Amino acid sequence: MIFFTHYRNDSRQLFRDPVMRILIFAPLLMIGLFKIIFIFLPPILISKLSFDITQYYPYILSGIVVMISGMMGIVTGFLMIDERDGNISELISVTPLGQSGYLINRLSFAAFPAFIYSIAAPLILDLGTVPILNIFFISMLSSIYSAIIGLLIYSGADNKVKALTYAKGLNSFALFAFSDLFLLRWLTVISWAFPPYWITMVVKNPQSVSIILIAFIIHLLWFLILIFRYLKTR
Amino acid sequence: MRLLNAIISDIRFQSKQGFYLVYVIITVMYLIILSLLPESFLRIALPLVVFSDPSVLGLFFIGGIIMLEKGQGVIQVLVVSPLTTGEYIIAKVISLSVVAVAAASAITILSSSETINWFLFLTSVVLTSGIFTLFGVVINAGCNNVNQYILKTIPYMLLLVLPCFSILGSPLLYPLTLVPSVAALRLMLGAFTQITWYESAGLTLYLLLANYLLYRYAVKIFENKIVFQD
Repeated sequence: MIFFTHYRNDSRQLFRDPVMRILIFAPLLMIGLFKIIFIFLPPILISKLSFDITQYYPYILSGIVVMISGMMGIVTGFLMIDERDGNISELISVTPLGQSGYLINRLSFAAFPAFIYSIAAPLILDLGTVPILNIFFISMLSSIYSAIIGLLIYSGADNKVKALTYAKGLNSFALFAFSDLFLLRWLTVISWAFPPYWITMVVKNPQSVSIILIAFIIHLLWFLILIFRYLKTR
Repeated sequence: MRLLNAIISDIRFQSKQGFYLVYVIITVMYLIILSLLPESFLRIALPLVVFSDPSVLGLFFIGGIIMLEKGQGVIQVLVVSPLTTGEYIIAKVISLSVVAVAAASAITILSSSETINWFLFLTSVVLTSGIFTLFGVVINAGCNNVNQYILKTIPYMLLLVLPCFSILGSPLLYPLTLVPSVAALRLMLGAFTQITWYESAGLTLYLLLANYLLYRYAVKIFENKIVFQD
């Protein structure tokens, strides 16, 4: 109950800040922009370069989902670092919500929009057919991934500059969503350990229960290890 | 000497914050992507990669650096130290250019066997990095947190990046080269392809002027809005 009261009040507080409001709604604009691009780009590429981009749609969809959830995670990570610098997180940690409650509360600011946008992206962009149930699984993975990114930034960086460095480095994770395309065995093997690879796998193999299971295990492993590490260092 | 010490201290700070390590990872990532491209396509893709990432890294990082130093009270100390605001900003620009040059050179050397004009290439990386870092200093004034800074960079990035597409269009769009980012991209592409000496000299002089004017403006804004907080 305390969690939900805090969550409601904090959400109101967050939406009062025009910067956070824009950053949280920015992925919607991004999806709109990609929709426009994918109306005009495929025919141009076929006529000018004889290049059929439609065969790469699963990768593009996965890349967009990874980008949106990564962005939500980064925004939340920066928000938490600002709150740590302003001693707000310390203040909340002595309220009934506690430090863990604060963490869950803030990470859900990343996870919830990531979940919504990851449902909206395949439906709006319409890049090939993805079953509704799979869209739901992808959205769940995406929301866990956004929390992972938020946690990596918050628990890994002890100041704003390091947070920016982490954000820059974490953007490289997106490469793993496309690793199959490079036909490099070693890169594919490394990618198995990273969440973006499994988001692509779920998009590409909608019928495979084992892939969905592995994807969830990898995502949850990352999440739990990071939570454990955070609680231990605290 | 003062300036040199400031540059060395900034480079040490950036190294401690993991700038060099993260750019090793990013360089490897680009090398993997570029290795897939045929040599003919690489001549276009490589300058675009160098222009879009290592050259503009200053814009991304300078916001956090200034905000952190503001929070730590470094900027307040600046007022009573012999280091001038101009030297403080130049040290930031040069130290971030060092990272940009290192990453850009590594990506270029390791991904292409073709000969390029190294003088033009390095000039272009340094001048582009300077422009974007100085824009970062200007944008930073009035920002209270990193999210605010990131949001404020978006319209600037659009204003600087969108005109770059004019290079693909008709020669009638050449006047858009007055936008510093377009001039920088033309110079960068010139290092990889054919460019006349007078065009490269003109672009270099123009970028030097743009850097100088932006530097003067950045010093003024920095003193008014960040040091003395008007």
